[in-house]
Amino acid sequence: MLQILIQGLLLSGLYALLAMGFTLIFSIGRVLNLAYGSYLLIGGYVYFQFSQVMGMPKLAGVALAAIVGVVMGIAKFRLIVKPLKGDHVAVEISTLILAVVLQAAVVLVFGDSSKILLPIIPGVKWLAGTAIPYSNLFAAIASWLILIGLYLFVRTTHTGRAMQAVSMDPKGAAISGIDSDRVNMITWAISGALGAVAGVFFASYTQLYPGMWVGPLIIAVAVVIVGGIGSIIGTLIVAHIVGFMEVIVSAWIAPELRGVFTMLLIIVVLVARPRGLFGREEL
Amino acid sequence: MGLRWYHFALWGAFIVGLALLPELVSKGTLRTIIFANYLAIFAISWDVLSGRTGYISFGHPFLIGIGAYTTAILTKRFGVPVEVSIPIAVLTTMAGGLIVLLPALRVKGSYFAMITLAFMELIYQLVQVVRPDLTGGTRGMSGVPTLTRGAVNGFYLSAFLMVSVALTMWLLMRTRLGTALSAVGMNEESVRGSGLSATRLKMVAFLLSAAIAGLGGAFYIHYLGTIAPRALFEINFAFTIIVAALIGGASTIIGPVIGAFFLTFLLEYLRPYLPGAERYLIYGGVALLLYMYQPRGIYEVIRQGWARVRGLA
Repeated sequence: MLQILIQGLLLSGLYALLAMGFTLIFSIGRVLNLAYGSYLLIGGYVYFQFSQVMGMPKLAGVALAAIVGVVMGIAKFRLIVKPLKGDHVAVEISTLILAVVLQAAVVLVFGDSSKILLPIIPGVKWLAGTAIPYSNLFAAIASWLILIGLYLFVRTTHTGRAMQAVSMDPKGAAISGIDSDRVNMITWAISGALGAVAGVFFASYTQLYPGMWVGPLIIAVAVVIVGGIGSIIGTLIVAHIVGFMEVIVSAWIAPELRGVFTMLLIIVVLVARPRGLFGREEL
Repeated sequence: MGLRWYHFALWGAFIVGLALLPELVSKGTLRTIIFANYLAIFAISWDVLSGRTGYISFGHPFLIGIGAYTTAILTKRFGVPVEVSIPIAVLTTMAGGLIVLLPALRVKGSYFAMITLAFMELIYQLVQVVRPDLTGGTRGMSGVPTLTRGAVNGFYLSAFLMVSVALTMWLLMRTRLGTALSAVGMNEESVRGSGLSATRLKMVAFLLSAAIAGLGGAFYIHYLGTIAPRALFEINFAFTIIVAALIGGASTIIGPVIGAFFLTFLLEYLRPYLPGAERYLIYGGVALLLYMYQPRGIYEVIRQGWARVRGLA
């Protein structure tokens, strides 16, 4: 029981972090960034290249991954989302194409085979008969700290409140003198950084390979659908529902089925309550 | 239906051109064209569902996979003859189309796109776990009976299928039904306002799309002879179908066909330079640029070019 609780908490923290960047874009920009998984992919590989191959300090590797994520986010907004002028379908399709292009780019540079990331912090702690790698513990705690920081940023700073305003009503925000392009760009940058850092943690949780972006993207999709848009707390809660469900299903039913229940949850929630459990009235 | 003489001429030229191809090109090229033909069928199927009604599906392999797995299991595990198993596969896929229709009755836009992605992932994981004795589990199945021997026969079968699907859909889309389906994509409320049932129209579109996907998937598997979950329920496969339809020109029939041939040959001509998955870098790059330049596809580029030429003449 304790084992499930611990594993669930660790996994959910990671899921919350990786879903957050996706939710942000969907809440504020109202577009689906199907290339979101690429932040995780590129972030993981950037960390691998700088920290593991070139031997730079690990924190510097994570920071570099975050910077690359920010650059990617801004470039994506500037080059793809903005020229398409809020055409949702076009953005979805171009980001899907971009995701495949970036996957191919990773294959070109690093090859097809999967890489093992060395743990960020080596060592294992035994608790209630469960091995908890310090790495995973660190990832979960870091996720929590980042999310608390994000929550404070959105709630208390001027830019954060502008983001909320644009998310609620872009026209009203524009009338109040908010430059929605600037807010959008900041959001894309934050989303990129969150994705890239989540990618480092996710890759150390599983492994690093060119197709690794699909799984996290699906989890992010699940969290957004079930949680609904426009709620950081909702995202957090749903990430825990999904995380715990996966851990419980793997422990008590069968490890192969853990994804199945997540998908069923998506479908049931969408059909029963399309705006999600915590979302605003919309659609 | 507004048929003109040049419609007949163009279709005639297209069919004659396809029929003569085996005399003109090598066997290797012919094999590439077979893939292009099947891709064209899948792209037409996607276009009926998503291009017309605007309900973008990112999980089209879900439907194709149902058709493919049904006929593969029936023929390989139960020895059912192909003449029976393929119609059953088409019917099963249409039932699958109704499953995809369910969320489309309640949600729109990005939410629908996300749920189709979930459908594809769901069946990908289920196929490997539920009754692996039937589906072959993670490794899939090989030795599914093939219908044809050799590239020429395979080509004629695939070309016949592709032309029949394309021609049927082309005629169907020129009727009032086609107009109504496109209207759903433009504005669902006004379709309702005109006294048409948007639900019924969506059902028609989804069933049509599923039937084509099932037909294409079943014949494709009987051409390949092997089936594997990772090759089928893959986001790259979904991507290729969607891009083929969009690059060629959504909401047209010849557009997805052009797109499928363009993409298949682009991929094939890149093979000598980039043998592996890196090809998708250029392939996707070209697709992205083309799409950003003209979201309505090659068909629209050609049409505008033709209009300009005629304007000068």
